[in-house]
Amino acid sequence: MAKDTQVLYKEDAKYPNLLVAISDSPEQLYYKGTWQDELFENCLAVVGSRHMTSYGKRATEQLVGEVARAGVTIVSGFMYGVDATAHKAALEAGGKTIAVMPCGIERIHPEHQKDLYQSILETGGLILSEWDGSAMPAFWTYPKRNRIVAGLCKATLIVEAGLKSGSLITAELAKKFGRKVFAVPGPITSEVSKGTAKLLQEGALLASSPNDILEYYDKKALFEKKPNFFHSKSGFEPIEQKVLEVLQRESLEADLLARTLGVSAAQLGTTLSLLELQGIIKQEGGKYYVN
Amino acid sequence: MLIKVPSALHIGLETVGVDVEINMASRGLPGFEIVGLPSKAVDESRERVRTAIVNSHIEFPAQKITVNLAPADIPKEGSFYDLPIAIGILSAVLDFRIPEKTLFFGELSLDGSLRHTKGALLLALFAREFGYKHLFVPKDSVNEAAAIPEIKVYPVRHLAEMVEHLVGRVQLIPVSKPQSLPDAETHPEFDMAEILGQEQAKRAMEIAAAGGHNILMVGSPGAGKTMLARALPGILPSLNETESLEVTKIYSASGNVKAGGGLLSTRPFRAPHHSTSLVGLIGGGSKPQPGEISLAHRGVLFLDEFSEFPRSVLEALRQPLEDGYVTIARALRRVQYPAQFMLVASSNPCPCGYLNHPKKPCICSPREVQKYRKRASGPILDRIDLHVEVPAVAVDDLAQNRQAKQGELSAAIRERIQRTRNSQQQRFREEGIQTNAEMKNAHLKKYVQLEPEVEQILRQAANRFQLSARSYFRMQKIARTIADLEDVKEIELKHMAEALQYRPKIHDEE
Repeated sequence: MAKDTQVLYKEDAKYPNLLVAISDSPEQLYYKGTWQDELFENCLAVVGSRHMTSYGKRATEQLVGEVARAGVTIVSGFMYGVDATAHKAALEAGGKTIAVMPCGIERIHPEHQKDLYQSILETGGLILSEWDGSAMPAFWTYPKRNRIVAGLCKATLIVEAGLKSGSLITAELAKKFGRKVFAVPGPITSEVSKGTAKLLQEGALLASSPNDILEYYDKKALFEKKPNFFHSKSGFEPIEQKVLEVLQRESLEADLLARTLGVSAAQLGTTLSLLELQGIIKQEGGKYYVN
Repeated sequence: MLIKVPSALHIGLETVGVDVEINMASRGLPGFEIVGLPSKAVDESRERVRTAIVNSHIEFPAQKITVNLAPADIPKEGSFYDLPIAIGILSAVLDFRIPEKTLFFGELSLDGSLRHTKGALLLALFAREFGYKHLFVPKDSVNEAAAIPEIKVYPVRHLAEMVEHLVGRVQLIPVSKPQSLPDAETHPEFDMAEILGQEQAKRAMEIAAAGGHNILMVGSPGAGKTMLARALPGILPSLNETESLEVTKIYSASGNVKAGGGLLSTRPFRAPHHSTSLVGLIGGGSKPQPGEISLAHRGVLFLDEFSEFPRSVLEALRQPLEDGYVTIARALRRVQYPAQFMLVASSNPCPCGYLNHPKKPCICSPREVQKYRKRASGPILDRIDLHVEVPAVAVDDLAQNRQAKQGELSAAIRERIQRTRNSQQQRFREEGIQTNAEMKNAHLKKYVQLEPEVEQILRQAANRFQLSARSYFRMQKIARTIADLEDVKEIELKHMAEALQYRPKIHDEE
């Protein structure tokens, strides 16, 4: 075992109660970071597709950020996509987060997220695994890992999931353990929203704002005051206002925006740059959003 | 008997004088030899000259003929020594005087006719520099050489005709004016108006064409990147006089001017495949030849599937992109070719190509995307002025739009660009550059003065978008071009803001 790795057995008093409660709780947990019992008081599992859409990303950032800020620990699987976004959103909001690895405790997987791994540890979060050493993840380790993610938490939030996905497995586990399942509604045309739609049909709770989740934890969102552009219309040029109105409804590519508003690409380019510079809109994956 | 005929030697785009010395000895066994480091092509000149003379119904002298190409220590190449050697021998046989201040140039065919020979323009330039007045070249090469008005250029069809002229029986008439070429007007595959949607990419293309800027298009397969690039020649103005001479020199030296062709007026558009070798792209070989980047001088180098080019090949573009020329050094020689081209590159956003595609899911992991993006290094991307995304367009959207609004025709855009280029030429008339893209830092200081508020927005952007120092300056050049397109003297805030739309977006992720 590496120097910074520690182990906790099922018999230990510190071993989280919620995890003991599940049928096949792991015999031991290897972990990196500082174990604090408060960390496990209020946990929310956040899982979703690796191939999240830009909508999924924004939804994760918006929901998870506020929930973490309110003091709920975000637990996820450290995979790229929704997992990584959830970890990051929690860290950015100054919250705590726990990553449950699908591989041996000594391995960082996926490796290119080394920076995130470090940040989780530096901000008082934990890296967990039920396996020692640096074994590679395998097909069967993911569902195993998922039972810990679901098992640690009072509730699980599914952001985007296809019909056949690991996220649905996690949701099933959460239900089996008698925990709450939240799902983020998505466009019916999106492949990665079909799984969440199914969950909602089956009775999962709808998560459309941070408070939907926080209520369950008896907490309230400490919304950071964001400037509301539509109350202070005076500061904007007419074209800027039009752009913001359209973007508020729907995120769009520059070309579509130009076509919708009937302005030249040159004029629109100027407007977008200026709004972006003021941090009012943001460009991601080719589309523009209101921040 | 010793005869001297002046000639020349091309090394890259430079030309140095060579004396063709011919000694005809009555003593000794009859023979014909060439010394002075002739290459294979020059050495074989013996057979062409002998046969061409015989086929011109002139008796080949049964003497020991020695030809020396002086200076003897520089290797000689090319087939154009045929004519000076033949004229030298014939002047002894037929007893005529070799005219003064005259150069002969051209490859002989076995029947005595003259073939189109590469390098005629270079020779004409050499002739002007060293005070030669007359130049005899193959008829097919005459338009090329006649681009230099100070020299009298005579078209020669056949060796016999040449001899008739020299003995005074017939008078060859120099061409007065190079004929314009029938292929001067090109018809690009697509008109900009045919490309539906892609407003932003089209606008970026226009800016790039106006200022000679490099541009990178990133988008899914089928989004229209190649179509945009192929439509580019239609909005590029023709070469001006200076540029035309520069370009034709390279084409002449590498044998790329067609028979009968003269000065080129259309901007080159080169689209090498991604399997092109380093030497093919940059130039080289034991006798350094210009590569694609030099053949694209003053024109467009289109690298489709940019990320598929081997990294070593792309990295080699760095220096020419910055300097506008390339120096190729080989053991024996060192050659400099101009390479002031406009790089147009296109690339997919990820290996599968469908990242951010509205319909098709992307199957790449972030790691794969990262790796794919890294194929073109930061320094190379940093040297590309305009970065633009070419999003995939939904077909039904476009069909609707087709009736709604037709885009601007290439011809109209081209007119605007021509005007912009003219004003740039006017601005830089004393700097030896032609476009905004070529500006060095000293030029920026002189010609791009930013109002405080404009500079502030640029600084703000540099912080927020993490622009490198190099992009910081590139943004100023693009803003200059945008202002030029509007025919405005001062760069305004809106120009700079628009320029920022085309910043390198690679750092934005994460």
